[in-house]
Amino acid sequence: MAQTQEAAERELTMSRAMVEAVAQEMREDDDVFLMGEDVADYGGIFSSATDLGEEFGHDRVMDVPISETSYIGAGVGAAQAGMRPIVELMFVDFFGVAMDQIYNNMAKNTYMSGGSVNVPMVLTTAVGGTYNDAAQHSQTLYGTFAHLPGMKVVVPSTAYDAKGLMHTAIRDDDPVVYMFHKRLMGLGWMPSPSGPKTDVPEDAYEIPFGEADVKREGSDVTVVTLGLHVHRAMAAADALADDGIDTEVLDLRTLVPLDTDAVLDSVRKTGRLVVVDEDYRSFGVTSEIAALAAEHALDDLEAVQRVAIPDVPIPYARPLEDEVIPGVDDIEAAVRAVRE
Amino acid sequence: MVSDTNPHFEDVDAETVDELLEQMVRIRRFEEGVLDEFSEGSVPGFVHLCHGHEASHAGMGVAMQPDDWLAVGGSRLHGQYIVKGVPFDEIMAELFGKATGPNGGKGGSMHLADVDRHLYGHAATIGSGQNPAAGLALAQQMRETGNVVLSTIGDGGTSRGSFHTALVFAAAWNLPVVYIIENNGFAISYSTQQQVGIDSLADYGKPLNIPSYSIDGSDPVAVYETISEAITRAREGGGPTLVESRVTRLRGHFEGDKQAYRTEEEARESNAERDPVTNFQERVIEAGHITAEAYDALVDEIDDEVGAAIQFAKDSPDPAPSTAYEDVLRLPLYGQGEGDA
Ligand SMILES: Cc1ncc(C[n+]2csc(CCOP(=O)(O)OP(=O)(O)O)c2C)c(N)n1
Ligand SMILES: [Mg+2]
Repeated sequence: MAQTQEAAERELTMSRAMVEAVAQEMREDDDVFLMGEDVADYGGIFSSATDLGEEFGHDRVMDVPISETSYIGAGVGAAQAGMRPIVELMFVDFFGVAMDQIYNNMAKNTYMSGGSVNVPMVLTTAVGGTYNDAAQHSQTLYGTFAHLPGMKVVVPSTAYDAKGLMHTAIRDDDPVVYMFHKRLMGLGWMPSPSGPKTDVPEDAYEIPFGEADVKREGSDVTVVTLGLHVHRAMAAADALADDGIDTEVLDLRTLVPLDTDAVLDSVRKTGRLVVVDEDYRSFGVTSEIAALAAEHALDDLEAVQRVAIPDVPIPYARPLEDEVIPGVDDIEAAVRAVRE
Repeated sequence: MVSDTNPHFEDVDAETVDELLEQMVRIRRFEEGVLDEFSEGSVPGFVHLCHGHEASHAGMGVAMQPDDWLAVGGSRLHGQYIVKGVPFDEIMAELFGKATGPNGGKGGSMHLADVDRHLYGHAATIGSGQNPAAGLALAQQMRETGNVVLSTIGDGGTSRGSFHTALVFAAAWNLPVVYIIENNGFAISYSTQQQVGIDSLADYGKPLNIPSYSIDGSDPVAVYETISEAITRAREGGGPTLVESRVTRLRGHFEGDKQAYRTEEEARESNAERDPVTNFQERVIEAGHITAEAYDALVDEIDDEVGAAIQFAKDSPDPAPSTAYEDVLRLPLYGQGEGDA
């Protein structure tokens, strides 16, 4: 990447990096605008729009009434009419109140029109738990969105990726769902693990969709994961290294498109696969990755484990939430288990 | 906004004034306790306090009969639990995420549900609960229970289409339900003026010919009277009512909200002029309805109860991790809820 010298210059939180990409795109392209609840005057509840209202004014950074159906639907229409809207759904958990707009309009209009229209829209949304907000504020729903054809799905885990993936998302001619984990944003009131805060080049740069990132090379076990759990997997890998277990950690970064080669290459190398996901176990990312490995690398596969939220809604109380959201210890245990 | 006539408690009997005052003080003192415990880190997650909504909650609570249903909505929920008769101990325990909370720690501050007390809990998606509330009312109508359903929502939530679908359904079936919009002027940072250009959110009932009222929600007597009338109409088969209860949000949307979108002046003015608890307290003392000493004694008594609730919550056990697998369905699948994770 051309900006590697600059990359060493400054560290940003994931929130700052994501917002910087949006600001740069808005400066370059008048068609880019942002709509969402509490984005303009508040700057986004999870700091996904800090200071954008001030710079671009209420004509391009719009607070909207609480009517996800109206403003997500309006985003779809505006995108088809030539604009490049970025539309924020405050919590992914609320997708249901506007799923018709998302799935039947945003994701299907291109196909059903026989390709005569396209929807260059970015739907940003906060995901994830670990802060005691109960079952309707804590989900990731990665699998739900990745399951439905017609939209790209992006899940950054670091500031560097957050910026690059946002540039790519805004410039993309198709709908992109950009899912940012609250715990990774670097909020004062919700401390991040170490890891998401990285060096970020000042200039705009793109990270191509469909390229997973090998966070750590290893020869014994492959851990495939995304979002917050990239950092939990790295912590587990560190602990396992003390016992001489060499773990490879793969950050998918985008679910749609999926970097199948990266997954298969790693599995062929290690023969042991652990898939870690902060989403429900059944019919989700973990099943998809396991199926992929089984379909294409069965001969190389010695063992597979899935680490995900057991199929229960996410409870409020600390000991209950800790029980169901995969922790570093759960990942460690799974890695040990596939080696037995 | 506090009207000149607030509070015109001459219109109601002394017992009702007592009840209204007590409920308001109960809510305020409880919330002060919650605030302390949240600051201490004992209450996890988010808390949204009711400061400014006390008169509205008290008025509707006192107007209801115990068997009437309250489907809670909006963000200011603790006061609604209190006026529905959920004891401090239980609410506090749920806020602490303890096993002794009504939801066993699965719900927390925003999601207390207590079917025995006819308290229907809140779903995080604001503006959705009005439809199940219509369903609760449909069940009362079909089973001829004579009970009425109250359903609350914030000003912000009324922008949701699903709020309006509930009104359509309630009007079509002439259901025994009272919808109350607690308009505190804000949806987080977004002011009601920015949201919609209509004068009164009660006007949303007009196209459907639903009797609609806009009242000063910081006057507990006005709330009590209007809601009582609506409940009577509903009980007698007169169908739904829509009430806009105009209140003030005296604190941030949630604790930790820095409110940069609100001018200091406006916030200060709200606190000085629109605090319904101070206002009502001063007026009832002034009118000689209660002595200052008796009022202080009431506050002390309630504070003791709040203190005991905090102690109860602290002493209560955490839920066992294995309970995370219980209650997904009434009848467990795959051995869930049988201790087999
Ligand atoms: C469908 C949906 N969209 C957005 C949110 C996020 N949210 C929670 S409370 C709130 C503001 C609610 O304002 P209002 O209805 O006026 O109630 P208040 O907080 O003022 O009591 C918002 C936007 C939500 N909970 N549900
Ligand atoms: Mg409001």
